[in-house]
Amino acid sequence: MDTATQTAPATNPMVRHAAIGTEGLPEKVTIRNLEFFYGESRALKGITLSLYANKTTAFIGPSGCGKSTLLRILNRMYDLYPGQRATGDVMFDGDNLLAPGVDINLLRARIGMVFQKPTPFPMSIYENVAFGIRLYEKLPRAEMDARVEQSLRRAALWDEVKDKLGASGLSLSGGQQQRLCIARTVAVKPEVILFDEPCSALDPISTAKIEELIDEMKKDYTIVIVTHNMQQAARVSDFTAFMYLGELIEFDATANLFTTPKDKRTQAYITGRFG
Amino acid sequence: MSEVALNDRALGTTKSTSRAAVLQRLRLTDNIFLGLTRGAALLVLAILSGVILALVIGSLPALKTFGFAFVYTEVWNPVTEQFGALAPIYGTVVTSVIAMLIAVPVGIMVAFFLTELCPKMLRRPIAIAIELLAGIPSIIYGIWGLFVFAPFLQKYVQPFLIDTFGNVPGLSSVFEGPPYGIGILTAGLILAIMVLPFITAISRDVFDAVPPVLKEAAYGLGCTKWEVFRNVILPYTRVGVIGGVMLGLGRALGETMAVTFVIGNAHKISASILQPGTTISAAIANEFTEAVSDLYTSSLTALGLILFVITFFVLAAARYMLLRLQKQGGK
Amino acid sequence: MASFASNPLYARRRRADVVAKTLAYAATAFGLGWLVLILGILLYNGIGGLSLDVFTHDTPPPGSDGGLQNAIVGSLMMTILAVVIGTPIGILAGTYMAEYGRHGRLSQIVRFINDILLSAPSIVVGLFVYQIMVAPMGHFSGYAGAVSLAVLVIPVVVRTTEDMLNLVPDTMREAAASIGLPRAHLIVRIAYRAASAGIVTGVLLAIARVSGETAPLLFTALNNQFFSVNMNAPMPSLPVVIFQFALSPYEEWQRLAWTGALLITVTVLVLSILARSLTARK
Repeated sequence: MDTATQTAPATNPMVRHAAIGTEGLPEKVTIRNLEFFYGESRALKGITLSLYANKTTAFIGPSGCGKSTLLRILNRMYDLYPGQRATGDVMFDGDNLLAPGVDINLLRARIGMVFQKPTPFPMSIYENVAFGIRLYEKLPRAEMDARVEQSLRRAALWDEVKDKLGASGLSLSGGQQQRLCIARTVAVKPEVILFDEPCSALDPISTAKIEELIDEMKKDYTIVIVTHNMQQAARVSDFTAFMYLGELIEFDATANLFTTPKDKRTQAYITGRFG
Repeated sequence: MSEVALNDRALGTTKSTSRAAVLQRLRLTDNIFLGLTRGAALLVLAILSGVILALVIGSLPALKTFGFAFVYTEVWNPVTEQFGALAPIYGTVVTSVIAMLIAVPVGIMVAFFLTELCPKMLRRPIAIAIELLAGIPSIIYGIWGLFVFAPFLQKYVQPFLIDTFGNVPGLSSVFEGPPYGIGILTAGLILAIMVLPFITAISRDVFDAVPPVLKEAAYGLGCTKWEVFRNVILPYTRVGVIGGVMLGLGRALGETMAVTFVIGNAHKISASILQPGTTISAAIANEFTEAVSDLYTSSLTALGLILFVITFFVLAAARYMLLRLQKQGGK
Repeated sequence: MASFASNPLYARRRRADVVAKTLAYAATAFGLGWLVLILGILLYNGIGGLSLDVFTHDTPPPGSDGGLQNAIVGSLMMTILAVVIGTPIGILAGTYMAEYGRHGRLSQIVRFINDILLSAPSIVVGLFVYQIMVAPMGHFSGYAGAVSLAVLVIPVVVRTTEDMLNLVPDTMREAAASIGLPRAHLIVRIAYRAASAGIVTGVLLAIARVSGETAPLLFTALNNQFFSVNMNAPMPSLPVVIFQFALSPYEEWQRLAWTGALLITVTVLVLSILARSLTARK
């Protein structure tokens, strides 16, 4: 595997991160034999996969392949809807997060999520960020201000909004709204952040900003990103999982997967023959 | 983010201090709120059951005394305590039929105008104006009917009807007698004006829901607007229009104040629609507070029960039809 | 082309189209005509009697002058109490259907029943409250009047609350859940806020609906010729006074009835226009 490391960026210039081996990397989330059902129909089949701490993992694949479904299992978002269920194990720091009795609200505070479309709450910029903090912590005003500022800085939004924190979150541009959502997510101090096609509703400049941010954030968080944009996956991720028809076809270091895919279907997809 | 306390990092049954306490409190408020909302939803059911129960219990004395004959006897005599519901039932049905005969075609044509003919700029204002008509309280229709509409009918319309149809065999009995102004016809006409906006609003909504491609296909064949409406829109939305009509009918059957002013409150059945009559709701409104004996009160409550049962089925049918259209549209 | 236009079949179709369109125009003019006629005559008859006295004097005995003060106060008190009782119940029930059991069996049943209540004859509601309150208490009262109005408020609020919460995008709920917000907080802090204009609209529509209601008050609150703020006693209301005065032979009473009718209509129209503009802004 490591033989490809040096040659990879040369053969596929869009891959930014050199291939890395998985040995010795701490696993943040370990998925084993995961199946998922929408009512009667099975949407995911026997997924086994590890997400490594402080790395970015991308899920790619044609639409309907189950990549978003897989992402939404990680914070049990599917619990909001009746008739959806998951079986198998998803170990998060050693505990199975699919087990009954898991406190879903705490889980979601620890595994944050940023959505496809920016979803600022109908309140001020400041409140959007402070809102989640207040749920679990009672902070004096000054500390709260500091936390809000810290979170907005984290999301590279502070300089643009510091003079209008009282303005409605909905008054920002699309890219700013998305960064506000990132600030809101980091404010509750998650350990893992899930990005569900975070740039698909944004212009190229905003997209570049978000990608830059994601790259920087992996110092502190384990990151998972779903994207339909292969270039994006190649640019931001360390590892890539290719999914097709509810199955995990191939999982590898991004540099390897994009240069020397082992499966014919992966190769067909990354060379644009279907999708 | 490095200052996150490491001992917080266990799932669910964590022993960590502050967060666990917070979570417990949140879970409690969560459950309380769920309980409250579910309780409120159940209360809505309880209200309907309560209405039915209260009406049944209140009607029992009358129904025991008169039995099923209550429904088909015409006598209504508070002095001898003989009560029969036939006259009010008859009045309710006839006034509603008159109202629907006028309001349905007019309402559908207004909806046709609004969806297919009206310039875009005027669409909203006209639609709002028609809906305002629906918002005017029924007592306004009543006072207006009594002071303005009934005298007008008495002076101009009813003499004309009597002169025109008075000698036509078959129709002569329908338009017989002196022009009182108030009576079955007047009540029916007022009801027609009242339910017109309901039928218009629902018809317009269902017409709007017709997929544009369907209409475009018909226009593409060279159909005129009327032909598209007749042959595409109306058949496609038939169930919904019927639902809207039933909803309007439900309103007409149960309407009280607009009718009470102009019906004349006479417990008799006459062939002529120019004669005074009564309806179930008008009889209750006029007589309930004057009813001294228990049997009288109970008989009026029994009238209410009959009205409720009739409107319940009409409204249920209306909802069922509108629901069916929704499902059809959803596919 | 010329032969096509002179085609007799086509000419007939054209004629049918013209006739139908004319009828549609006529029908619309007919509907709008009534609105103008009713409002015009109401204004003409009602505005003459409108003066400060209407608000500062109580309903007069036959043959003398007076105002509608007691009726206006009674109507206000009963309407406010009805809204205070009905709004929370309506909002909570609507919340259950939209947020917790959207496709559940209980929601389906409640939705159906609520739609029935929404159009059920209001006089039947009067009979119901008479049975459960007036008869057991032994006397008519403002409380009974308020409860019967509340029964009419609830279905309107339930319906609009559910509709408006359904308009709140699921992504908003997911976003709130994704920062660990529990369901109840999600609903109260996010969904209600996003749907607030719509829910207020519902309440305004409910007030508009009950402020003209007469039938359910006739034998619950009854009437009272005098000024009274005691809700445990019979209470006058604008609609019931209009009913009584309009059917009386006294000219002063009839004039007051018209004035009262104008007041109610203006209130109701202002409320419904306000409600409409609140939701139309979005």
